[in-house]
Amino acid sequence: MRQTQVAHRSGLRDEQQRLYAPCRARCPVHIDVPGYLAAIGEGRFTDALEIVLERCPLPSVCGRVCLHPCEDGCRRCLLDDPIAIAQLKRAAADFGVYPRPEHPRLRPEKIAIVGSGPTGLTAAHDLANRGFQVTLYEEKPLLGGTMRYGIPNYRLPDYALDRDIDYILSAGIAVNTGIRVGRDVMLDELAASHRAVVITAGLQGSRALPIPGVDSPRVLTALPFLEASSRGEDVDLGNRVVVVGGGNVAMDVARTARRQGASDVHVVCLESSDEIPASPQEIHDADIEGITLHYSWGPRSISHEAGTCALNTVRCTSVFNAEKRFAPSFDESVAECFEADTIIFAIGQSADVGDLGIALTSRGAPQIDPLTLKTSIGNVYAAGDVVSGPTKIIDAIAAGHQVAATAYRDITCDTEPLRLLNEEIDTLGEVPDTMANKLETRRRIQMEHLEFFDAVKTFDEIEGGYTEYEAAREAQRCLSCTTGARLTREKCSLCLTCIRVCPHGAPILSTDGYVYFDAAACNACGACQSQCPSQAIVLEGHSEQEMSRRVERQLWAAEMDTALMFACSSTPIVPNLGGTPPRIITVTCLLRVSERTVLEALQNGATRVVFAGCVESTCRFLHARELVRQRSGHIEVLLSRIGMTNAFDFVEHKADDLDWHLR
Amino acid sequence: MIVVRQKPVDEICAFVTRHRRVLLVGCNTCAAVALAGGEKEVDLMAELLRLATSRKASFVEFSGTVLTRQCEPEFLEQLDSEGYDAILSMACGAGVALLASSVDVPVYPALDTLFIGAAQGLASWEAECSACGQCVLGRTAGICPITRCAKGILNGPCGGMSDGRCELGDRDCAWVLIFQRLEKFGRSEEFLEIAEPKDHSLRTRLVTWDAHEDGIR
Repeated sequence: MRQTQVAHRSGLRDEQQRLYAPCRARCPVHIDVPGYLAAIGEGRFTDALEIVLERCPLPSVCGRVCLHPCEDGCRRCLLDDPIAIAQLKRAAADFGVYPRPEHPRLRPEKIAIVGSGPTGLTAAHDLANRGFQVTLYEEKPLLGGTMRYGIPNYRLPDYALDRDIDYILSAGIAVNTGIRVGRDVMLDELAASHRAVVITAGLQGSRALPIPGVDSPRVLTALPFLEASSRGEDVDLGNRVVVVGGGNVAMDVARTARRQGASDVHVVCLESSDEIPASPQEIHDADIEGITLHYSWGPRSISHEAGTCALNTVRCTSVFNAEKRFAPSFDESVAECFEADTIIFAIGQSADVGDLGIALTSRGAPQIDPLTLKTSIGNVYAAGDVVSGPTKIIDAIAAGHQVAATAYRDITCDTEPLRLLNEEIDTLGEVPDTMANKLETRRRIQMEHLEFFDAVKTFDEIEGGYTEYEAAREAQRCLSCTTGARLTREKCSLCLTCIRVCPHGAPILSTDGYVYFDAAACNACGACQSQCPSQAIVLEGHSEQEMSRRVERQLWAAEMDTALMFACSSTPIVPNLGGTPPRIITVTCLLRVSERTVLEALQNGATRVVFAGCVESTCRFLHARELVRQRSGHIEVLLSRIGMTNAFDFVEHKADDLDWHLR
Repeated sequence: MIVVRQKPVDEICAFVTRHRRVLLVGCNTCAAVALAGGEKEVDLMAELLRLATSRKASFVEFSGTVLTRQCEPEFLEQLDSEGYDAILSMACGAGVALLASSVDVPVYPALDTLFIGAAQGLASWEAECSACGQCVLGRTAGICPITRCAKGILNGPCGGMSDGRCELGDRDCAWVLIFQRLEKFGRSEEFLEIAEPKDHSLRTRLVTWDAHEDGIR
């Protein structure tokens, strides 16, 4: 997927090219991040969950363990902290209600999926939702693959994984667990009885180094050890454990060993501290849990003495050669010996698909045609880590979408899903200084988590997750990139009101006499949209029709004599009106509630409409409170002219009021 | 541009409540720019009238549409007023008048036409021209005494000026402003020239103007 990083004027945009916020552009599956953050910011967790599920069928998993490439692109990075995009996805999954499956018209074609990791589950989800009869084959007793047996429970507990899997299976997917394709059932049988077979077996083989002394019961490899731990087995490691490897799996192994009772855990890796592939967060967490990292040591042999062993290493002087290939060189004169009760190798995984009977590459992975994703058997596809080597979960999900769309194309000749997946996208540049100077610093809200001295005693989940209130407040830090103003030139009367109300200079009057919007300078406050006399401006992330539907839903369930309250999501406190409790609609900003929406609500049965405004310290948007006050005044005048003096009220609270709205 | 303002809605209500189906027609030129007669205001007015009439238990149906300019016959041809028994025009007086002459149902104004003015910022305009038909701005340094002076006099200031302010108290004296600007450009001696009275018949008798008749085009 090609991306171009250009500051962008939506008016000049080629309509064929999609403009995505950087977070969305960087996400391998392009989850509509600003969309679901806006929903969470208004306390609409189920809507947020539905938006995530459009692109990612594993929100509960990704909300916990995704390495969030999105957050690196967040335009808030340079201001204070990126939005906690991944953790908010978890909030959507925690508080939202998973939708019921839609059950499309069933097609006659059967598809088998071999392996139930993220790629397999995603492919199964996509294909089942397009009507195919999908069967999942899994060697292990439970679904989930690496997510269940590789990622430790303190990062991804089983209940969180099961929530996503239950949702995926609800589309009507048959499951065959405890069956290894190639042993219990042959691949060519599957290929003959199914229209397509997709191999998403992941990386099941754990490697150890071919060094003297490695064949010993005191020497383990990563995956069997992690799997035993995740099944709840006690593994006797002794006190002192040495983990060999520098990736995220090595950190998982070390931290799991700590929880298996080892009090003295060392990680020995080939790379220097600058080159280590593990994520900084994982290294930090390992460090906090008392795990010692030893950089730039290359294992040479393992020596054994009564009951203990020792890893003999020499200094690694460089890991990569001039062509950036893996070619470590060593200084044999500098040696170090790490004594241990147990040594665990976490130096990489490999594909274990030798018994399938398909052509393999030299690395042991299925040989595929990169365009068709097909293996040496005509209707057998392969995708995910088994083909690409180790990747992030979210990359594996993207691979699942890709292989599902490819198989769908081959069966139905409909290329549309595949085309959409690979469409060219465009993203925004940095926040311009004119805008950055006016934005307040708001640091990320930190999640509750177990303290390390408690955390290392159990496999309990470390992160407690946001509360609904924290999630909403964190989501409100979002700059709403690309969800802002879009101008329909044909309707514009060139009144220039947008230019006059925008606090960030996003609308630009060009020398050709038209108004353009600089999407990079718009944070979707809605000031221009709320004032445009020709209704030529809409906000990408907001629609009047949707607002009308929300009003209708609230009033439909309302009793007689009910007030309707529009509460700004930044409102610290919802005022007590006395009498029947009002129906409350929480909105990003009251500027999104037009005069017309208020009148419509009164016409449709609300006895009274109340605006509950925010306070200066919580307001997200510059000047918005002033415009809301003007609008409220205008509504009051209009209503008093038709004799409805008490039908509208605008309540603002003092700054020292308690902050409990959305709690 | 022509600056307009919405009439109080009770006044508009009085026009329309005796009808059954009323069409609101906005104007996307001056009236929209003056934030009084664009699509947004048409929608809002329709909603407000619906609310007002339904409260009085009278059943009037309101729909809205917007023309690019109501003061052009070609744009009016785009209007489909079939089935309506009244029209509420949300345009300046010119728009209301032309619309009223082109349909067979009563046309009511929803706006008051204020003046020819210039924008001062967000939702704020200043009167700059009274369409007198004999522009004097050349000798008054671009400040119109007909519009900005309370008396509209051609030789000022009058005795009511004090400290640069008009005796009405709501504005600066136009003639003081004119003097200051002439002085700034070194033209203060022009201030002493007495201006001849204007031909006010141009204002009262000039009801049409045809550029072809004048031989200009």
